Amino acid sequence: MSSKKNKYDHISLAEELVKYGCSLGADETEISIIECDEFNIEVRLGEIENLLESGSRHIGIRVIKDKKTAFATSSDFSKQTLRGLMKNCVKRAELANPDKYNGLPYGLEKPTANSTGLDIFDPSIASMPLNKKIHLAKKTESIALKDKRITNSFGSSFETKTIQNTLVNSSGFAETYDESVCSLGLGLQAGEPDAKVEGYWSCSRRHLKDLEFPEDIANKAVSRTVRLINPRKIETQNVPVIFEPLMTSWLMEFLFSCVSAVAVYQGTTFLSNKLGKRIGNKLISVIDDGLISGKLGTCPFDSEGVPTRKTMVIENGILKNFLCNTYAARRLDLISTGNADGTGVGPNNFYLAPGIMSPDDIIAGTDRGLVLVRTIGHGLNPLTGDISRGAFGLWIEKGEIAYPVSEITITGNLGIILNNIEILGNDLEFNHQVIGPTIKIGELTVAGQ
Amino acid sequence: MHNNSNIKPGLSDPFNLSEETIKKILNLALSKGGDFSEVFLEYKIFTFIKMEDDIIKETAESIDLGMGIRVISGDKTGYGYTNNLSFKDMKKAALTAAQIASGHKKTTPFELEPAASKFNLYQTVYPSHDALLEKKIDIVKRAYTTALDFDSKIIKVKAALTDQIQNIVIANSEGLLISDRRPLVKLTCMAIAEKKGQREAGFYGGGGRVGLEYFDSILTAEDIGKESSQEALHLLDAVLPPAGEMPVILAPGHSGVLIHEAVGHLLEADFIRKKTSVFWNKLGKKIGAGTVNIYDDPTIPFFRGSYNIDDEGTIPEKTCLVHQGVLTDLLQDRLSARMMNKKTNGHGRRQDHTCIPLPRMSNTFIDTGEFSAEEILKSVNRGFYALRFQGGQVEDSGKFTFSVSSGYLIEKGKKTVPIKQATLIGSNIDILNKIEMVGSDLEFGLQTGVCGKDGQGVPINDGCPTLKITAMTVGGIR
Repeated sequence: MSSKKNKYDHISLAEELVKYGCSLGADETEISIIECDEFNIEVRLGEIENLLESGSRHIGIRVIKDKKTAFATSSDFSKQTLRGLMKNCVKRAELANPDKYNGLPYGLEKPTANSTGLDIFDPSIASMPLNKKIHLAKKTESIALKDKRITNSFGSSFETKTIQNTLVNSSGFAETYDESVCSLGLGLQAGEPDAKVEGYWSCSRRHLKDLEFPEDIANKAVSRTVRLINPRKIETQNVPVIFEPLMTSWLMEFLFSCVSAVAVYQGTTFLSNKLGKRIGNKLISVIDDGLISGKLGTCPFDSEGVPTRKTMVIENGILKNFLCNTYAARRLDLISTGNADGTGVGPNNFYLAPGIMSPDDIIAGTDRGLVLVRTIGHGLNPLTGDISRGAFGLWIEKGEIAYPVSEITITGNLGIILNNIEILGNDLEFNHQVIGPTIKIGELTVAGQ
Repeated sequence: MHNNSNIKPGLSDPFNLSEETIKKILNLALSKGGDFSEVFLEYKIFTFIKMEDDIIKETAESIDLGMGIRVISGDKTGYGYTNNLSFKDMKKAALTAAQIASGHKKTTPFELEPAASKFNLYQTVYPSHDALLEKKIDIVKRAYTTALDFDSKIIKVKAALTDQIQNIVIANSEGLLISDRRPLVKLTCMAIAEKKGQREAGFYGGGGRVGLEYFDSILTAEDIGKESSQEALHLLDAVLPPAGEMPVILAPGHSGVLIHEAVGHLLEADFIRKKTSVFWNKLGKKIGAGTVNIYDDPTIPFFRGSYNIDDEGTIPEKTCLVHQGVLTDLLQDRLSARMMNKKTNGHGRRQDHTCIPLPRMSNTFIDTGEFSAEEILKSVNRGFYALRFQGGQVEDSGKFTFSVSSGYLIEKGKKTVPIKQATLIGSNIDILNKIEMVGSDLEFGLQTGVCGKDGQGVPINDGCPTLKITAMTVGGIR
C-alpha cells in the first residue's frame, strides 16, 4: 500500500487542504496524513484465535488564526467532509482565545535523514506470506507449552505495522517517511488453581530480521512465569530494590512525564524549577535521541516537522533539558527538541544510560533485598514524584534469589530514587521507546503484612 | 416500556449503503466457509474544548468513519476493517476476514430483517453534539471559574468538555440488521492547590449519555469545579498512609472501581472459558460473604456504561453476577456464549470499528446492604478509609492493586487525618470473603470512567455502598 503513487497523492491532498485553509482566512495551516497497514495473528493453545488485517488512514488538521488554534481529525477522506471540517476548524479557531505562543515552527530545516537513512522501514514485511506469520506465532507458543510447569496460555501473537507519515504546512514544509514495527510475544500462566501466576515476554523491532527467535521469546516467557510460582508474603520493611529493565522502563516513563515541557509550563511536575540543577547522583544520565539507526523511537522529524535530534535530559545528575514541542519551547523560552507528538510531547528513544555491571553480579552483591519484576496499578504523581504501586518480585537472601513474593506494594519518590540509584546494569536493550538497564536502588519501602 | 419513536429500525443515514450491499459483503465474508459473518458500521463525531491559563486554549473536532467485518469459523475469528466505504475496499476487508476459514462456502442464504431495541436509554433535551460551540464554551468556563475562585490556594485549573455521537449499524449472517445512535458527554476539571511550596491536584467530572441540561440540573458545571478544588485542598493537608495490614472502609460510589477490577473483569466469559480466570470453575459456588450481591446493568438510563444494543446488536440485560455470595452468571458476548453453550446477555462491546468485540462490563455495582455508613465507621478502632481512587488493576489470578488518591485514617470510629497516595493490594476471593459489612447507601462513581482491555477502551461506570473489609494490605511509608 505504501507505493510511490500514494506518497505523492497524500502530499498533493495535504497541499490542497493547506491552500483551502489559507483561502478561508487561516494564517497558518498544517496537515498530517497517516496511512497504516496492520496485521495481527493471535494463537492460543495451538489454534488460531484471531486474525486481523486492515488498512486505515487518518488526516489531522491544525489551523492558526490571529494566534488562536483549532484542531480536527478525520478518517473520512471524502472531499466534502474534509472541506466541511476545515471550515469548522477555522470557525472554531475564531471562537478560541489568542495565545501569543501559538503557531507553526519558524523556518523549519529540512530533516537531515529519511526513513532509509535511519533504517526504520522494513519493506520485507509487506511480502511476508501468511503461513509464515502463523508459523511464527504457533511455534513460539508450542515451545513454551512443552514446559510441564506451564498450566495455561494467554496466547502468543505476531503483529506487524507499516506506516506512511506525511506532513505538509503553510510554511512550505512537505515531507513523508515510511516506518515499520513488528512484534512477537507470549503470555503464560502457571501455579495451583487458586494461586495462579502469570508472565509475559514480547519483542518489538523495526525489522523482521532483528526479532528475537521464537525459542528465546518462549524461554523468557516461561522463566518469567515459573519463577513466580508459590509466592510468599513478606513483612513491611525498607530494603534495597533491584529494578529489572522493564521496571526501569516504567520508571523512565514516569520520569519522561516529569521532564515534559508541557508538564513544566502547566506546573504539574516536581522538576519544573530544577533546570540546570542537580536532581540525581553522578551515575544518572538520561538521553532522548530520535536519530539512533533502526530503533523504535527513531524518526526523521516530529509531528510538527521539527527534525529530531539527540538531547541530554540529565547529564551526570544535572537536569540539562526539558523535552519540548514548539509551543512549550516558546512559552519557556527554550528551543524545540523535536518531541512534538500530536498536541503534546512524546519520547523519541528516551533512555537511562547503562553502566558496566551484569544483572547477575548486581544480585550477587545484594545481601537482602527485592528484585522488582512487575508492578500493577496506577499510583504515580508527577506533581510530587510520589510512587506507590502493587508489585511482584523475587526476594534476595545472601546474594541469591530465595523465593517469589506477591501482595506487596512499593512506595517511594522519583526525586529520592534518582539520588539513590547505586548501580547501573550493562543490559540496556532497545525493546521499547522508553528504556533503561537493570538498576539497584539503595532503599525503598516494601509494604507487606 | 420506553417509547421507541426516535430509534429507527435497520439502516440509518450517514453510511449511504443499501441493504443489498451489506448483504453482499456478509456473503463475501463467508466465501471460504465461515459459520458467521458480521458487519459493524460506525460514523462518530467527537468534539473537544479545553480551557487552561484562563483562556479557551484548544478546540478539536474528529470524524471517524469505518466498517469492521468479522468472520467466525469454529472458535476462530477473522477480522478486517477499512475507513473507505467503497465496495472495493469493503470487499477487500471481507475477503481478509474470510481467510480465517479455509474451504468453500457452505452457509444457507439469509435475508436481513430490520430490528430495533426495546430500550431508549439516552433521551436528551439539548444534545451536546448539536449545540453551538459558544454554549459549550460557556459550560467549560463555569467549571473553570468556580474552581479557580474557590480558594486563593488554587493556582492552576484545567477544564475540558468532550462529546461524541456514535452512529452504528450492525448486520450479520443470521439476518440481524439493527442500529443505535449513542451520545456521550463528559466535563472534567483538574485543580492544583499550593501551600508552602507543596502542590496537590484534585479531579472531578461528570456526564454520561446525557444532554447539556445535565450540567444545569443533575451535576452542575459549578459543582464539578468546586469538587475538584476541594479535593486538591484536602490533599494539601494529607499525609502518606501507614503501611501494613488493617481494616479498610471503602467509601460509597468511588469504591465501585474495586468491584469492577477485582470481580467484574474475572467474570468476563472469555477469561472463564480460557480457564485463566480464578473464577473459571466457581459458577454456582460461594465466592464471597453472604451479604454480597453484584450486578452489571447496561440498561440504566443516561449512564456512560449503558447502551440500547451492545456492539454485536444484542439487546442487553441486567445481569446478576453474584447473589448472596454465590457466583450466578457471567458477562457474555456471542463468541464466548456460543463456545460455552450459553446465550449472550448483551455484554459484547468494542471500542470502535477497528476492534473485535469482547465480553465487557457496563455499569457494575454491589447492591445495598443493611448497615448505615455511621454504624460501619463506628465498628473500626484503627484503620483506613478509602475515599477516592485513581485507578486499579487486576491479574487473572485475582491479585489486584488500587491506587487511592485520597482517604482518611480511622481512629476510634472516626475519620481523622487526611491521607494521600495509598495503595491497596490483595486477592479477590480473599477480599470478597472479608466484606464484613455492606452499607445501605448505594452510590455510583464519577461518570467519567473508561475501562481498558486488550487495548480497547469503553465507557463504563461502577458503584457500591459503604463497605467494610476486615483486613487489607495498605501500601505506604514505614
